[in-house]
Amino acid sequence: MTGRKPKVVGFCCERHGMDAAVLSARSGKGFDASVRLVQVPCTGRVDGMHILKALEDGADCVFVLGCLEKNCYYDTGSIEGRKRVDYVKQMLSEVGIEKERIEMFNAASTNAWMFPEIVSKMVALAKKLGPIGGEKQ
Amino acid sequence: MKAASIQVILCKCCTELPAVLNVERLRKLAEESCNVVSVMMVDAICDGKGLPAVVNNAKEAEVDRAVILACHKKDIDPALFKAYRRAGINEFMIEIVNIREEALLPHASEPERAQLKAETMLAASLARARLLAPLEKQTEAMKTKNVVIIGAGASGHAAAHAAAKTGAHTILIEKTGKSLKAPGIVMPHSQVVGAKGYGGNYQLTIKAGDKIENLDAAAIVIATGGGWTQLKGPLAKAVKDAMPLYKLHEHLQAGSVPKGPVVFVDTPDPAGKTMKVQDYAWDDTLETALQIKRKARETQVFVIFQEMRAFGLSELAYKEAADLGIKFVRYDKSAVPKIDPKEPTDLIVKDFAQGDVLSIKIGTLVFSSIPANQDNQAIADALRIPMSVDGGVRRGSIQRWPVTTPRPGIFVCGSALFPKSDEVAKAEGEAAGSMAGEFVAKGEIEFGGSVAQVTQEKCSACLTCIRTCPYEAPFIGTASKAEIKEQLCQGCGMCVGICPSKAIELHHYTDDQIMAQARELLGGDF
Repeated sequence: MTGRKPKVVGFCCERHGMDAAVLSARSGKGFDASVRLVQVPCTGRVDGMHILKALEDGADCVFVLGCLEKNCYYDTGSIEGRKRVDYVKQMLSEVGIEKERIEMFNAASTNAWMFPEIVSKMVALAKKLGPIGGEKQ
Repeated sequence: MKAASIQVILCKCCTELPAVLNVERLRKLAEESCNVVSVMMVDAICDGKGLPAVVNNAKEAEVDRAVILACHKKDIDPALFKAYRRAGINEFMIEIVNIREEALLPHASEPERAQLKAETMLAASLARARLLAPLEKQTEAMKTKNVVIIGAGASGHAAAHAAAKTGAHTILIEKTGKSLKAPGIVMPHSQVVGAKGYGGNYQLTIKAGDKIENLDAAAIVIATGGGWTQLKGPLAKAVKDAMPLYKLHEHLQAGSVPKGPVVFVDTPDPAGKTMKVQDYAWDDTLETALQIKRKARETQVFVIFQEMRAFGLSELAYKEAADLGIKFVRYDKSAVPKIDPKEPTDLIVKDFAQGDVLSIKIGTLVFSSIPANQDNQAIADALRIPMSVDGGVRRGSIQRWPVTTPRPGIFVCGSALFPKSDEVAKAEGEAAGSMAGEFVAKGEIEFGGSVAQVTQEKCSACLTCIRTCPYEAPFIGTASKAEIKEQLCQGCGMCVGICPSKAIELHHYTDDQIMAQARELLGGDF
């Protein structure tokens, strides 16, 4: 499996998650190119189905990035998002897929340093775990 | 259904984009893509010069949607959407792809990967654009022109004046009975106890004296200010006659000089965790300390602090304070000031700078802090707006909407957000007042667009959406199925994600649109 590039999907909330990503890019911080960002209005919008479909379509890891829980623009949105992610985690462990493949993160829009950290963490995990059902590297 | 015809705009961002990416390859890819009828390159979409050409091109090619490869959506000029609207293209049919911050800037060191990523992003957004549907916003006339201002402090007062200038009817609601001169109506001894409705048409329930009154409001400004408290923690047990800064002000204005030595502490609870040391306090603390010294030079004055940040020109007070002999003692969180167990009138402080342990005899202990108003919680509950952890009202975004709350038509200013000085509170009050006035002056509210909608046939009336929504937009309608009040819906999509019957759909962020985008993004190998 040499040369295979990891695929990471990030569902970012329109409010703080995407702003953190944009700010980190604007402040000159590079992050791994293998991350694909999908904008959702709020992490509460993320459905278990979106995460599972992304894994099915070839993603190695999926992360959901929302506002800080006590500072969510939509009040309880990122709490709902975490619940959704936890639910899918449980579902994955039941079918025998590593539940670490999906993760929920919270960031404030000014936390520019956090986004590259999240990306490098997930990309490292994707490299370690390899494709779903494939051989571990 | 008519096949989509897409216009693709490539914003070169002056010279940034061609410096890293191969623009011709992107252009070729766009031209070869399905449904694309026109591809255009502009130097910079944000400067507005290219707009007429873009819109004319859209008209000529008879496109019904556009994909714009540019930067962050929030930084795109609204003029772009207006221009497209004039050309007959709905604003929800325009898809903006952020290739600058998602591909260009972070991956500038790997141009080939950045190129592939940009191409994949283009393909993904085209896939999403094909699924977009036009959405119309609706309007509803406002019933009143009332701007209700809660709190008649410095910021509330400024807000009333600013709102009155725009022609709105201002109603000031004040908890205490202090006499006021403000434009519009002043309601003393009254409090907001309940609220219904949405931005533009709120119905407030107000407790005025003993009576309960109803009041229609188009916009609301929260200017509750801060609340003064007692000393807290171990200091409160040892020192009984400590006074807050404003009490000392009153004494000084009445002409009496407090008993020396006067000790200023930065917060009512130095050992506590939640009380933040705020910059507002220092201007007032310094000014008051100087007043004491000017009146009675022999009085000893100590200022005990963790960090000191006088604001702007107030820094000049440091020099005068040093000349007059005010003693500044900086302490660290690890060694908070405490009362000598043997001598209850002595305060023991470890000077952080010198390392010495000082023992200061307390004549008058003054603490300066305006913690959050106790009434904020009740008001936030009534208006259903989020609170911050410190007990203040939370604003929409510190950069973009500093005086608005997430709910349309509700504005917030002054110390209701967090403690601040008088000048800043007044400036914020003016801002919030004029924004409320501007909101009311429109005369009608816009709603709809990217909101949730229930497919009645699928709904099983399980009430999950009603429990989840923080804005109370869903309700059970006459058909015993859930319905969504569009005026209240903020378009977060929480009910959509949680609906077990998949009966709710969020326009502009449908499942198909999100999953098509994710699938295309995963298609590229980079």
